[in-house]
Amino acid sequence: MSNSVNISVETTCENQIREIGYDGTEQYQPAPTLSESLAKCAARIDFSKTSLDDLKKEEKTAAAAEEENKDGTQFQESLWPWDAVRNKLKDALTEICVLSDVISIAKDKRYLVLDPLLEEGDDTKPIVQVYSRKKAISQAAQVLLSGAERLRNAHSEQRSRNVSDFHIELLRLRQNWRLKKVSNAIIGDLSYRTAGSKFGMSGTFEVTKAEEASDDDSASTSTTSSSTATNNGMQMKASSALRVIVPAELQGVAYIKVITQKDQEDLCTAQVNLMGHGPNITAQVGVWQKTLEFAQNVLFCKELFAQLAREAIQLQAPIPHVVIGNQIRATLLPNIQLIISLCHSTTFDSNQPAPINDHDHVLEHSLHQLLREVHYKNSHHPFPHPASAPLGPSKKRMLAGPMAADRETLLDMTKTQTILEQIIAQAQHIFMRKRTQYVLDTLARDVKDPQIVSHWNAMNSPTMSCVKINIVTHGYDAIGRTSLVIHVKERSLKCICRDGRVMRLSYEPQELRDLILCQINSHQISCLVSLARCMAWTVLSNSNHLGIGKVEPLGNASSCLLASPNGDRMIAVQIRCDPQIDVKVYIARSPRQDFFPSPLVPEKLWENLGGNFKEVKFDKIEGKSFLNKMEFLMASLTSNTA
Amino acid sequence: MGVTVLQAYPMPENKSGAHIIDYLSKRLLSLGATHAGQFLVDCETFISTPQPHNGTPGRAVHVLHNSEYPASTFSIIDSGTGKQVSLVADSIFDLLMLKMTNTFTSKKQTKIESRGARFEYGDFVIKLGSVTMMEHFKGILIEIEYKSCMILAYCWEMIREMLQGFLNINVGKDFPSYFAPQTIMTAMGQQQMHAKHNDMYEPTDTVKQYLEQFTNYRKHVSMHGSVSGGIQGGLGGQQQQPVHMSPAPVMGAAGGFGLIRP
Repeated sequence: MSNSVNISVETTCENQIREIGYDGTEQYQPAPTLSESLAKCAARIDFSKTSLDDLKKEEKTAAAAEEENKDGTQFQESLWPWDAVRNKLKDALTEICVLSDVISIAKDKRYLVLDPLLEEGDDTKPIVQVYSRKKAISQAAQVLLSGAERLRNAHSEQRSRNVSDFHIELLRLRQNWRLKKVSNAIIGDLSYRTAGSKFGMSGTFEVTKAEEASDDDSASTSTTSSSTATNNGMQMKASSALRVIVPAELQGVAYIKVITQKDQEDLCTAQVNLMGHGPNITAQVGVWQKTLEFAQNVLFCKELFAQLAREAIQLQAPIPHVVIGNQIRATLLPNIQLIISLCHSTTFDSNQPAPINDHDHVLEHSLHQLLREVHYKNSHHPFPHPASAPLGPSKKRMLAGPMAADRETLLDMTKTQTILEQIIAQAQHIFMRKRTQYVLDTLARDVKDPQIVSHWNAMNSPTMSCVKINIVTHGYDAIGRTSLVIHVKERSLKCICRDGRVMRLSYEPQELRDLILCQINSHQISCLVSLARCMAWTVLSNSNHLGIGKVEPLGNASSCLLASPNGDRMIAVQIRCDPQIDVKVYIARSPRQDFFPSPLVPEKLWENLGGNFKEVKFDKIEGKSFLNKMEFLMASLTSNTA
Repeated sequence: MGVTVLQAYPMPENKSGAHIIDYLSKRLLSLGATHAGQFLVDCETFISTPQPHNGTPGRAVHVLHNSEYPASTFSIIDSGTGKQVSLVADSIFDLLMLKMTNTFTSKKQTKIESRGARFEYGDFVIKLGSVTMMEHFKGILIEIEYKSCMILAYCWEMIREMLQGFLNINVGKDFPSYFAPQTIMTAMGQQQMHAKHNDMYEPTDTVKQYLEQFTNYRKHVSMHGSVSGGIQGGLGGQQQQPVHMSPAPVMGAAGGFGLIRP
């Protein structure tokens, strides 16, 4: 017997509370029935979207308002939402019926005809039209004719004269130089500022029309400079339509002259000049091109000289540099001076002085390149990697951190050389190289016996060259060769011999001469030793520094002692080099001829001890060279008897 | 830049560090070396903040500076397993480490440095450094650099002779522990003995040697009370531990430093 339990299932009460009674009961609004909700949706339809129904909409809204008022009093819920919809549909039906009636009547064409609307015709007279068209066309013709007239004039003018138009000239000028228009003047800039120069002098020039310009009516026509153009072939004096005015301090021609002077004698000179001495490139363009180029050259030379003068004053050299007027004197080596002067001639005439004959292209090019390098460094900064790193340090310095560069490397990075220091180093090196060449050439000319062959490196730096010297005897190249390398630096030489000895020489030429003579010395002896081995002679001893005899200014004598294959002859050779190579050869024979037994030395066998050495008249021996003579001597002393 | 060898100087008990430095500098100057400035090598350690859960020690980043390479900062990452990764960077790396405080905290109390005078003697550069950690003196480290050579195997004998000459201590014939042959894994996965003394010397090797010595000095904090100066296993023959001296020390050229070598 289970008691049934009443379970009440209630929905959640979602309806609005209409009224709450005094005893707490709530009266809900009944939930909308399906038809009520449909009515609500239908009421939302907006029938007034079409434009034709605007008037009707107003009527309807008015009617709806009336109906609302009406319904408000009656409160008939079921009819009210549908009433508006019903009315709208009723009106729409009425209109559709009317439309269908009209169309059916119009189709019948008995009581109603549909005709298209006719355009209204023009009531203007045709003559007026013609007249207006004629006027318009004549105006257009006028414009075209005047334009053609202008072109014809310009064309005929251009052919009639041989000087080009101002504007064409201006175009060519703009292709070569920087111009800009300031108020009504044209200003140009011929300085190197955009290339990185920081020189203070301004290089602005002004462009104007030439004086012989004739005024024309229209402002845009070109001016001609008439007729006084003498068109010689050689002289580029063709007058042009424009004139350039350069500042007074840049007029004329300037060049920088570099002279190396030794005790008031000119040793070598160099000219620095931007203008090439090649073919005249200003043939096609006007005379202004040459003027501007000369002015730019003057500016460049002035900047170069100003920079050099400033550095000359700031640098501390052992012998101070002297700056007088437009000349800078620097000392390269004792008694040798470098003079850099700025020559500026303001009278510009077409017969320029002939260039100095021994034109040192190297120093000229170097100075030009050094200043250009300064300009380049001013305008080009290495980009930092990463982009957030500071802008300024060079790429090497930026890599120094991650590459663990040590203190010396970092210190080296901070050292820079000024232009003057660099050109002095280069001039010193040129001088040292010339001197070394002179010493080697004179030695090669004077010393014939071993031949001195020098090979200079084709590639070298502005401050260092290398030369390889081979000392060989002609005909005996396979026997032996002495070679050494000389590094020519700015003020010193470094010699590296084949056996690894490194010697540092100063700038005195005598030291190099002495060194080569000593090398010749040792070459002779070492070749003799090799030759003796070839000839089957025994080398008893040899020495490079004997230390006997009187004290020589240059090294010591070197010697060699040879014994014949069967031991009966000995040759002793001694070579000195004070200052010429001096060779002494002695021969001994054993058994000695002049042995007589004496009470002290009775046995005959002591005659084998060897005789005295007798000198040989070496220069009388047949033979082209020392080794040749020695070969003959050894050959003649070799005997077959045992 | 040449081969650099670090040598820890065995400290006698009753002498102060300054006295020893003074004594060694006098010996160097009388030998003919010239005093050429000061040097400084310092090391700061950062530990990774979120400690890993399985008990392994966190990763340590050591940041070292060497005044011999003033533009660079060296950094070595030490994962707990003994693998070390080293880096050479620009000095701006220090600023980068400041930004990494979320991941790495700096253990300020383990900042250790070696500072002292620098002597130049021909091709050698000798540095006498006193090692201090948070103003406490820890020991003396001698750094000797032979500028002409880049491979230790060629010049170890000469360096050893030089060290024995002016330090007056016995330096073992074997290569220092840093250069001892180690087993490495080749690219093909095989184990191979690699002799570090035949490699070209790099600036990071100097710094790694310093790190090795500094680590030992840091570990010494725990071992400070040991009497006989027992040597931990695994350290090479170069380690000179502080030795307990007898009450009447014999000083002078004959030397009285007893060494305990492994």
